[in-house]
Amino acid sequence: MDFGDTTVIHDLSFDVRRGETFGFLGSNGSGKTTTLRALLGIYRPTAGRLLIDGTPFNPDYANRLGYLPEERGLYKKESVIDVMTYFGRLKGLDKHSAQTWSLQYLERVEIGDKAKTRVDKLSGGQQQKVQLGVTIMNNPELLILDEPTKGFDPVNRRLLMDIIDEQRAAGATVLMVTHQMEEVERLCDRIILLKDGAARAYGTVTEVQEEFGGLTITLDYSGRLPTSDAYTIASQGGGHAVLSVDTGADLAGILRGLMDAGVTVSRFEPRRRSLDDIFVEVYGDEAARGEGSD
Amino acid sequence: MARHNLSTVIGFEFGRNLSKPRFWIITLVVPIALMVVFALVLLSNSATSATTDAQKKAHISFSYLDESGVVNDAIAAKFGGTPTSDAAAAIAAVKAGTSQAFFDYPADPAKQPVKVYGQDKDIFSNGVYGSVAQALLQTSAQQKLNSPQLVKLASGGGDAVTVTYRDGKKTAGFNGLIAPMLYLVAFYLLIILLGNQMLASTLEEKENRVTEMILTTINPTSLILGKIISLFALGLVQMAVFALPLVVAYTLFRTQLNIPTLDLSNLSFDPQQMLVGALILIGGFALFTGTLVAIGAIMPTAKDAGPIFGVLMILIFIPFYIVTLVVSDPTAPIVQFFSWFPYSAPVTALLRNAFGSLPLWQGLALGAELLVLAALVLRIAVQLFRYGSISYGSRVSVRNALARRRGVEARPTA
Repeated sequence: MDFGDTTVIHDLSFDVRRGETFGFLGSNGSGKTTTLRALLGIYRPTAGRLLIDGTPFNPDYANRLGYLPEERGLYKKESVIDVMTYFGRLKGLDKHSAQTWSLQYLERVEIGDKAKTRVDKLSGGQQQKVQLGVTIMNNPELLILDEPTKGFDPVNRRLLMDIIDEQRAAGATVLMVTHQMEEVERLCDRIILLKDGAARAYGTVTEVQEEFGGLTITLDYSGRLPTSDAYTIASQGGGHAVLSVDTGADLAGILRGLMDAGVTVSRFEPRRRSLDDIFVEVYGDEAARGEGSD
Repeated sequence: MARHNLSTVIGFEFGRNLSKPRFWIITLVVPIALMVVFALVLLSNSATSATTDAQKKAHISFSYLDESGVVNDAIAAKFGGTPTSDAAAAIAAVKAGTSQAFFDYPADPAKQPVKVYGQDKDIFSNGVYGSVAQALLQTSAQQKLNSPQLVKLASGGGDAVTVTYRDGKKTAGFNGLIAPMLYLVAFYLLIILLGNQMLASTLEEKENRVTEMILTTINPTSLILGKIISLFALGLVQMAVFALPLVVAYTLFRTQLNIPTLDLSNLSFDPQQMLVGALILIGGFALFTGTLVAIGAIMPTAKDAGPIFGVLMILIFIPFYIVTLVVSDPTAPIVQFFSWFPYSAPVTALLRNAFGSLPLWQGLALGAELLVLAALVLRIAVQLFRYGSISYGSRVSVRNALARRRGVEARPTA
């Protein structure tokens, strides 16, 4: 995908399997939103193909799709129920079903009394709930969520996560762009890390963790921590250290080496590196510079 | 699905515009203003008529001197007049207050004014002297003619019926002008009243950042077509509201408002003119709508789009600067230019069509030109909306937006 003379996405190939939750990760400007827009026909790719269920996206697919874009908005001057009914009808529901679904949803998210209120009279959090409702109307088979928790307050974030869980349980495929690594670890079956428009890593969460060097050891100790070829010291101070080691490293040998060096170890806890750590490693410089947008 | 969505968009857009107070304020301003004018005319007419009648019927005593020989003494006596031969004495009597009034009829009242002298009452009541003096002269003259027919003719009565022919066929004249001219009225009303709404129709999605949600839910062509159809329907509602006071005034207050009787049976509907007029109206409406929608897709806000909208409005009024030429010499180069230039063509061609100076082939060619261009502009408008309207808050580069269609994205501007 080119923007003028600049190639924004290149050599990118991945698939999302039916029924899975797929995490689309990357720093700002790495091309996530551009890829989603190309997938949904908002941008036209310079080369390559983006297919949903084997065919390019067509708005007629709307009754099977729920899309929460990064740039959010609703018709402001109309009532909540009118806006929701309109989108419901565009998604293939008849008027009565759209109204009934909308009223039930509004009751569920505790703004049932706002059904006839103009959208611009709602608070930001209430508008987020309406937006979310429009996204999941008609129980879509495919949910595409671009930074779904962006701008959501903690209450709405919890609600959103609950709803995503429900949709997953109901069999929906979820494609999610997010910077919240704990959400990814909790929700996603597989992920792709995008950097400079190309895939930096792709696979299950465990596969990606292993690809990025496996393990960290959290250490509480007293004494002088020696250097070693078996590990690198990621951080240390105050009797606490984090060591990075390769997957398959001889953990018992490392512990024995520490003790042989006169270090008194009170905690030795190996674990896989977190996605947060991996994200910082991959995008640390870009994130610090706060580069671009997608 | 597409048809379902088209009707959904039409229903939504039509309903929400109808529920906006701004729509009704704009729509009702004209009929309310018309009703106020009608009411004022009605009041004024009845007051004037009553005053004139009262003044004509007012019985005053006066003396008169008639050098014309037209005034009938018997009629004058009925009016309260007494002949005199001494003008100076009669005027002196009026001055002294012993006589109410004196009328001095000259030898030739058709060329010279009747001199009227009277005692001052007030500025409005003083009119009674002149009214009585003229009524006496008019009644005496009619009596002299002794023929109702001559009286009517002498007072400007008598109708002339003109029959004209072109290529051996009878032409409709003024009655043939009215029906096709309604297309021009409809065109102006639609563009002037709905232009801003056309412009804002896609701006709203952009300003509210609904574009991405919409583009993944509905085909942009269906969205824009739905908006245009709903705007057309809104235009019909507005025209019906405008027509209402005219219909009420004509049906209930025609006499009081001095509205001439409209004999619809005399109206001529030339099928060729009506067909060509409809074609040009639809083509012109579609072209202007497509253009305004395209502008809306490019501009970030309605305020930014204002100046371009102004230029389009000027284009539909420019042909009126050469209206006499359009009527008298439709072959003039400037008329031909305005006839074929797409944005001045609807008004010029509809005028020429109404005046019967637009040959069938030209009318059809112009209609085709407008429709083809409208389809092209609409296609571009859809393209600009589709690939340009996600440039929230910034102006879209037309070149870049159109380039996206060829597969090379332009750098997003926001």
